[in-house]
Amino acid sequence: MNGEWRALLRLFAIQGTWNYERMLGVGMGYAAEPLLEDLKLVDPVRHAEAIVRSTEFFNCNPNLAGLALGATARAEYEAVPGAQIARLRTALCSPLGALGDELFWTGMVPALVGMALAAAVLGAGWWAIAGLLVTYNLFRLGTGIWALRAGYRAGMNVGSAIGASWMPRAVARIGPVAGFTMGLAIPLVGGWFLRGFGWPGGLGAAALAVTGVAVTRWFGPWLTGVRFTLLAMALLLLLRRVGL
Amino acid sequence: MPFGVLVAWGTIAALDLVSVPQGLLSRPLVVGTVAGWLAGDLEAGLRVGVLFECFALDVLPIGAVRYPDYGPATVAAVALSAGVPWEGGLGVATALGLVLAAVGGWSMQVVRRWNARAIQKRSAALAAGEGGAIRLLQYGGLLRDALRGATLTAFGLAVTVLAWPRVYMLDRRTAVGLSLVAIGGALSAVMSGAVRSAGRGARLRWLLGGSAIGLALAALA
Repeated sequence: MNGEWRALLRLFAIQGTWNYERMLGVGMGYAAEPLLEDLKLVDPVRHAEAIVRSTEFFNCNPNLAGLALGATARAEYEAVPGAQIARLRTALCSPLGALGDELFWTGMVPALVGMALAAAVLGAGWWAIAGLLVTYNLFRLGTGIWALRAGYRAGMNVGSAIGASWMPRAVARIGPVAGFTMGLAIPLVGGWFLRGFGWPGGLGAAALAVTGVAVTRWFGPWLTGVRFTLLAMALLLLLRRVGL
Repeated sequence: MPFGVLVAWGTIAALDLVSVPQGLLSRPLVVGTVAGWLAGDLEAGLRVGVLFECFALDVLPIGAVRYPDYGPATVAAVALSAGVPWEGGLGVATALGLVLAAVGGWSMQVVRRWNARAIQKRSAALAAGEGGAIRLLQYGGLLRDALRGATLTAFGLAVTVLAWPRVYMLDRRTAVGLSLVAIGGALSAVMSGAVRSAGRGARLRWLLGGSAIGLALAALA
């Protein structure tokens, strides 16, 4: 297996040492090692410096970290001054974080999970789970390969390469898809659960859901959905204890 | 109940959330369905999985945000509700699962602090660019997270064994009431997440369009 593929595999574990000081830093260093192996033969001093730089503070969406990894590795081979490479890493944190979060956490994940939820409650069973896992992981693998290669090709020009790529367009398109599938799933899930309880139970749960949306919005971020539910359960147990 | 297999599955789910491979194996829908199959009650697994998925969709795992870990929690909740009619068992299982998920979220902070301490201990080796030190730190971090997941799942399953008789002790009205509260709370969480992510632009219109079709399908189903 060549360095590129080993780096790609290691990128899947990039958050293995996640911490509040260096965040993804050590994980980036771990993924950078195979990419920088050839530098060791040519310039061992530069190689050691490059490894040190690769483990310093870094944070972005883990699925797009390959762009930064590829770009900085290329810059190391091109003997770009270390301070400039460190600045590039810092500059990439925010855009790769924002783009990746929009593409994955607020885009692909809710879009696919919403679809899987709708399919599961409509009776698709295992197919819903398999569809979710296969589609997401194929997309993620494809994005990971593209990111590492695009970063390596662009080097210090990775910023313009990202801007000209498919990503900004995909981010703009995935949001509405996620909105649609989530909208589709919520009533289906609600109906699937509440059908067995009859009208009074169903209306009670629906009223609680609407109240929850309002109060968690009002008292958020302290009052999360989890806390609201646990409080409502405690209240119900209290009411039952006093005989209501 | 296959205790060892469920602990192994909970550990995989806990690792997948952050450390490796982040392939959506930790989504409650996936965790719950597989745990239900392992525990011999697929229906319970799917019900608990769908319910916890609604809570999980309220979470945005961005930056250094702190969030619950629903993987081991879902495994324990499925184990508790397996073999019980779901209308009565879902509420108690949800209560246990939500508390465990919060403990799981806290345990991730502990692991992150341990990772930071391990890095500080090896800072000289890192400053010298030693590849061996990086690999050691990385494998150490993964091992700590795996131990966290295994401990959390085992603890959840142990609580399940203790709580099992109490599920039967609850009168039916209370048990069903708890299930309705759990469903209402889950719907509230998923709606909050969807509305927050939708903002005021095109996504909100698509959310409303999807909801209209979903309502129609739910009425027909």
